[in-house]
Amino acid sequence: MAAVGKHHVIIGGGISGSQAADTLRTLDPDSRITLITLSRLPVYNRYDLPQVFRGRQDWRDFLVQPPEYYRRSRISLRRATRVANVDATRRIITLAHNEELRYDTLLVASGGRGYLPEELAEFLPLLDSFTSFEDAVTVRRRLPEGGHVIMIGGDMIGLDLARTMVETGHRVTLVAGPQTFWPHRLEAGERKQFLAVLAKMGMQVVESEAHGNIETIEPGAKGMPARRIVFGDNTDLRADSIMAFCGLVPSVEFMLGSGVDIERGLLVSRSLRTTNEAIYAAGDVCQIWDQDEKRYRFYYGWKNVRAMGELAARNIVGGDEPWSSNQDESLRVQENGSLYSPFWEYA
Amino acid sequence: MTRPAKETPSTDIQVAICGSAGEGTIAAGDILRSALAEAGYRIISFDTYPPEIRGFGKCIARLRVTTEQAYSLKQQSDVLIALNDEHAIPHIGEVRDFGAVIYDGHSIAKLPEGGHVSGHLRAGQLPYPVSLRELCEKATGGNRSRNIVALGFLAGVYQLPKDAFLRIITKKFGKKPGVAEQNQAAFETGYTVGEAAFRLDDVVFGAPKRDAATRDVVMINGNAATVRGAVDAGIDCFFGYPITPATSIMERLASEMPKHGKRLLQTEDEISAIAATIGAGYTGARAATATSGPGLSLMQEMLGLGVIAEVPSVVFVSQRGGPSTGMPTKTEQSDLSAAVHGGHGDAQKIVIAPTNVEGCYRCGGKAFEMAEAYQTPVVVLLDLYLSNRYETVQFGARPPFEANCSKPRAKAAPGEPYRRFALTEDFVSPRALPGEPGAMHTITGLEHNELGRPNDQGDMHERMSKKRHEKLKAALKHPDFTHCKRFGDEGRIKVGMLAWGSTFGECLEAMFKARAEGIPCAAMKVVMLSPFPVEPVSAFMDDCDVVLVPEVNYEGQFARLIQGELGRPVVSLARVPGVPLPVDEILETIRRLAASGPRDAARLVRAA
Repeated sequence: MAAVGKHHVIIGGGISGSQAADTLRTLDPDSRITLITLSRLPVYNRYDLPQVFRGRQDWRDFLVQPPEYYRRSRISLRRATRVANVDATRRIITLAHNEELRYDTLLVASGGRGYLPEELAEFLPLLDSFTSFEDAVTVRRRLPEGGHVIMIGGDMIGLDLARTMVETGHRVTLVAGPQTFWPHRLEAGERKQFLAVLAKMGMQVVESEAHGNIETIEPGAKGMPARRIVFGDNTDLRADSIMAFCGLVPSVEFMLGSGVDIERGLLVSRSLRTTNEAIYAAGDVCQIWDQDEKRYRFYYGWKNVRAMGELAARNIVGGDEPWSSNQDESLRVQENGSLYSPFWEYA
Repeated sequence: MTRPAKETPSTDIQVAICGSAGEGTIAAGDILRSALAEAGYRIISFDTYPPEIRGFGKCIARLRVTTEQAYSLKQQSDVLIALNDEHAIPHIGEVRDFGAVIYDGHSIAKLPEGGHVSGHLRAGQLPYPVSLRELCEKATGGNRSRNIVALGFLAGVYQLPKDAFLRIITKKFGKKPGVAEQNQAAFETGYTVGEAAFRLDDVVFGAPKRDAATRDVVMINGNAATVRGAVDAGIDCFFGYPITPATSIMERLASEMPKHGKRLLQTEDEISAIAATIGAGYTGARAATATSGPGLSLMQEMLGLGVIAEVPSVVFVSQRGGPSTGMPTKTEQSDLSAAVHGGHGDAQKIVIAPTNVEGCYRCGGKAFEMAEAYQTPVVVLLDLYLSNRYETVQFGARPPFEANCSKPRAKAAPGEPYRRFALTEDFVSPRALPGEPGAMHTITGLEHNELGRPNDQGDMHERMSKKRHEKLKAALKHPDFTHCKRFGDEGRIKVGMLAWGSTFGECLEAMFKARAEGIPCAAMKVVMLSPFPVEPVSAFMDDCDVVLVPEVNYEGQFARLIQGELGRPVVSLARVPGVPLPVDEILETIRRLAASGPRDAARLVRAA
């Protein structure tokens, strides 16, 4: 009878979690691995979602691994599954549908959800989301050919989508705000320069603050575009869709009673271990101690979260390697005059 | 220039609903098939359920929805609705990749690891978690209509015709005040949620065909079709004792026969039922009984009386897993030998077995014609799969049955005694009914002479035995009755299949797949099992490199019957899974036989 190995549970079906599962399978072949994701689909590349505007609308084209990979790799993929809470003392995860899972080691790689500034929260039902494959296809289907999209904020996820939409014949109006170039940290004067570059790339750029900020968002009148934004100075914009991209909030709700230290994200050592010895965290959900800055900080981008997943897996099976990022974080203007962010790079 | 008509995608979708007894699994399946049949789809459906009445075992309703004619259920389902985690988990595997699994996303009870459906999906299957209980409670104030919420969700996701469902729900629950409204609310709620759900699977319901083949179709199961055939053929009396899976024949006749001024009696047991049937048959009534394997065993002695006394009578036998009580709610074809060879003495009778629901109707009526024409008991062999299987059937405007098939009594010369068992050229004697003037005669279970008077002389026994056997041969040419039929490739073929009863549908599907793979293949359905159609079967076998006989029994009873009748080898694929033979298993056997060539096939035959 084959020896029963440890049960490694990973919460989060993004790049970080899926890389961790793959690495764990290689390093700990006798273990049980369970990967829990909210998504109804096997792990897919969310960074690729703007491609739906280039005609890719079959979810199979976005998969990180083909469906048979999970059977072959003996990774139990729990989709459409929400974690309700984690009992770190008993090492038990309770799923929202009332099933309990016991784990030996837990990796939290639940990522983050889109941050929405408080003043916009009441308009959420009128905003289109772009965080999942389903969202992406829904937006694509809803938009008419050459349709008009208003993008509030921007951030590097939103701007990646915006440039694709412009290239595919859509009209994009960027309502710029404090998070427009998130998570880049800009030098003085750079913001204005980069906004001008975005305008050259074909986006209409509107400074929110210059118009008294957003006053209200409402459905469009009959026969008019579906949405309308009204600013404090009574000017307005109309569009077929409005989306907000204002950075990420770590998804940590289910960890609140676990006893693990949380600031905004899960606090982890440089080896990505939380304050509980059996629990690690990786990706957009964790804040890693930065010795130079003397603070816990987030590391974003496909390269970072993937590397974190791999490192966490190595440390889970006995390693003690420290985290170091080799992600270029500089936003720049290319020779052809367009904006380029290293966060747009993925395999 | 005219624009080409938009092609309607053909539909071939199988939906399985799995739950616990008492959760409305079968009811949901019933509504689904009725609504889709009303919408114009063709349906084959089959329910499996436990022997217990409520609250224990697993129920599964499976239905295949098509635009073209289909002959069996598919091996894999496209959609599974899981109403119960424990029962549905073992069936997750039957959903194909990129198919859908609809389940309750919440559980009231704490579940151990692996206790929820969601933990068992393959990565290629698409989950649809729905808050069935919560939605049901909001819509109806209770949770009894979870099944209908799930049905509504299915209809909403795939944009199935809502009105047809609502009509069927009203029809089904209309007699219970408030219940129809509650179920309609549950359906509407599920439909709304389903309509809004994002579809990720590749399940496509094309528009149903509205042509002559789908007009005026009736959704009916094998037992109901048998009853309709019997009623259309003018059944006069029925005597029965309940037994699964034949009970619904009696139940349905109990409501039908009084409408036609006919009589039905539930007797104290099966022996009484067959005795009464033979008694009624003797009086000239079209009489029948219905039972299953255990009842057939009890009836054997009286069937012998029917044979020797040459009394028309019909016995419907719906087979189930045996022997003894066996598996009352599982299908099997293991009463063939008992039907053909059962009983004592040389008591050959007519045995026919329909292969689909429409065939149940034809056999249900034709059995009475044959019983009358050849003055003998006729056994109609059904099985649980066929009895409970629903299909969309289109019935003709007029029943295809003759009202009177008796050979009339010729006018006798004055003083000449009536010879009830006269030895004639076609071995069928002119029949008079009791009480007819000038036709007084003796009838007995003893061997007798032409007058019916006891006679145990050897030569008389020889002549009467010959008469009782030879007269049945004419049944092989009974008018307007298909005793066997070949399908598939003509001429020389690599693998031929001989099949009977419900298994023929699976054989036909396997044959289509084999032919699509380039294997020369044909299948012959054999409806008349006794007397055996030696000539056409033999001619079919002449064309085949190897003959495969798939059937749902352990002994290979049909294979043995063929070998006994023809003395020719066949390869037997005999299994007792309690469910229909998987098409893929038959196909795999065809592939193996086709690859082996005639010489190796002969070796396989010997090994079999």
